[in-house]
Amino acid sequence: MSKVRRDRDSGRTIWILVFVAVSVFCIIFFAARGRFSVPFSSRAVTAAFTPFQRAFSWAGNQVQDVTTNIWDILTVHQQNKMLRNEVEQLRAQNIQANEYAAENIRLRSLLNYKQAVTQFDLVFGRVIGRESASWTGMIVIDRGTNDGVQKDMAVVTERGLVGNVIEAGPFSSKVELLLDPRAAVGTLVQRSRVAGIVEGDPSVPMQPRMVNIPRNADIVEGDVIVTSGFGGVYPKGLIVGTVASVKNDAGGLLKYALLEPAVDFQKLEDVAVIVASREAPPEPLKPPVQTPGTETPVPQPESSAGGEK
Amino acid sequence: MKFACCWAGIVGVLFVFQSALLPMLAFHGVSADLLLAFVVSFAFLRGSRLGVLCGFLCGLLQDLATGTFFGTNIFCKMVIGYVCGAFSNRVFKEQLFLPLLSVAMASVLNYFLLAVLMVLLGYRFDLLVHLQQVLVPMVLYNIVFAMPVHYLVYLTCERMKEKK
Repeated sequence: MSKVRRDRDSGRTIWILVFVAVSVFCIIFFAARGRFSVPFSSRAVTAAFTPFQRAFSWAGNQVQDVTTNIWDILTVHQQNKMLRNEVEQLRAQNIQANEYAAENIRLRSLLNYKQAVTQFDLVFGRVIGRESASWTGMIVIDRGTNDGVQKDMAVVTERGLVGNVIEAGPFSSKVELLLDPRAAVGTLVQRSRVAGIVEGDPSVPMQPRMVNIPRNADIVEGDVIVTSGFGGVYPKGLIVGTVASVKNDAGGLLKYALLEPAVDFQKLEDVAVIVASREAPPEPLKPPVQTPGTETPVPQPESSAGGEK
Repeated sequence: MKFACCWAGIVGVLFVFQSALLPMLAFHGVSADLLLAFVVSFAFLRGSRLGVLCGFLCGLLQDLATGTFFGTNIFCKMVIGYVCGAFSNRVFKEQLFLPLLSVAMASVLNYFLLAVLMVLLGYRFDLLVHLQQVLVPMVLYNIVFAMPVHYLVYLTCERMKEKK
């Protein structure tokens, strides 16, 4: 009798279990699709456990802090070593980044120069060597005849004249700087058009001199000196420097000017070789200022008129 | 009633421990499921009927407190409670190897039940990657915590027997 009841009980239990399982299964799908929500809010359960969770979490954080501190103390030596290594690496990276930034600025200004001077064809080069004797007379650049560089071509930066090529190899060239005592550049005072020759001064290596200036010539401090174009090596109009001081020559008939070169020869890294030059295009004509009341219509340029058509 | 309150207290402590402390030890967001270990141990020691009930209540607590798909934990823990309870007559309960093996197997079963439910709900995932990232650390965590949980449940059962 009891066995029969036990069997019946177990059968009923299994049915109940199956019913519950199927119900839960259905609830899962209804809940997932938002068609069923928990009759009593889960907020109550969460709220009931929150203080305990907070307390446990706080305790856990304290334990974690303590263990972290102990671990930090134990590993501080190793960490210090690693940090020193990292600092060294970062310093090296920083130096490299600064180098790249400086190079970027230089190349950008050279590019701007190239876009500005349309009358010149430029070949850009990098200074790969300097004369070790004085650091002022000669440089070697990494462009040669393979790149179109030839002897007696002018070398410039965006600031002004550097010198000229005196020897061109296939892959590199030697450039004689403006500061070299052997250099002689035909120049003009930009303001008064007084002519002279700029040459290196061995006694003051960083300040070239403009010589052969007549005693009564109009030249004052601050005047800009540009190339005259005489001699055919240097194109006309390249800035050489500004007049720092004017002095009388020992002979008494002439005077000379000490120049502040436009190019900073101490920081010379990237240069451009002028491989071809043309006459600069003439400036567009500007209409004169007209007297009010007597204005005549200004003719439109042909191109814009054609555009309108 | 007194015993029920005692069990509820244990479940509460385990849940708080699981939800507040174990995340600090989590590996890629995966940590141990102490309630699963509890359900397994309880079902092994008390049989399938109470195992199912325990699974239902623990799952309900988890579903209500954590706010995942309602019912998924209830269903999985009920099934695990029933399966483990069904084996309770066939194993020697005092041996220590029991909780480790059973929790490992229960973790795998729980994972696949949840995975099937997720697939049925329309979620797709890369099973192989998920196995490596979730199942393996979860099983390892559960094995680590299985022994203390089983010991706690075993001691509680013994004390209750003594009091009865």
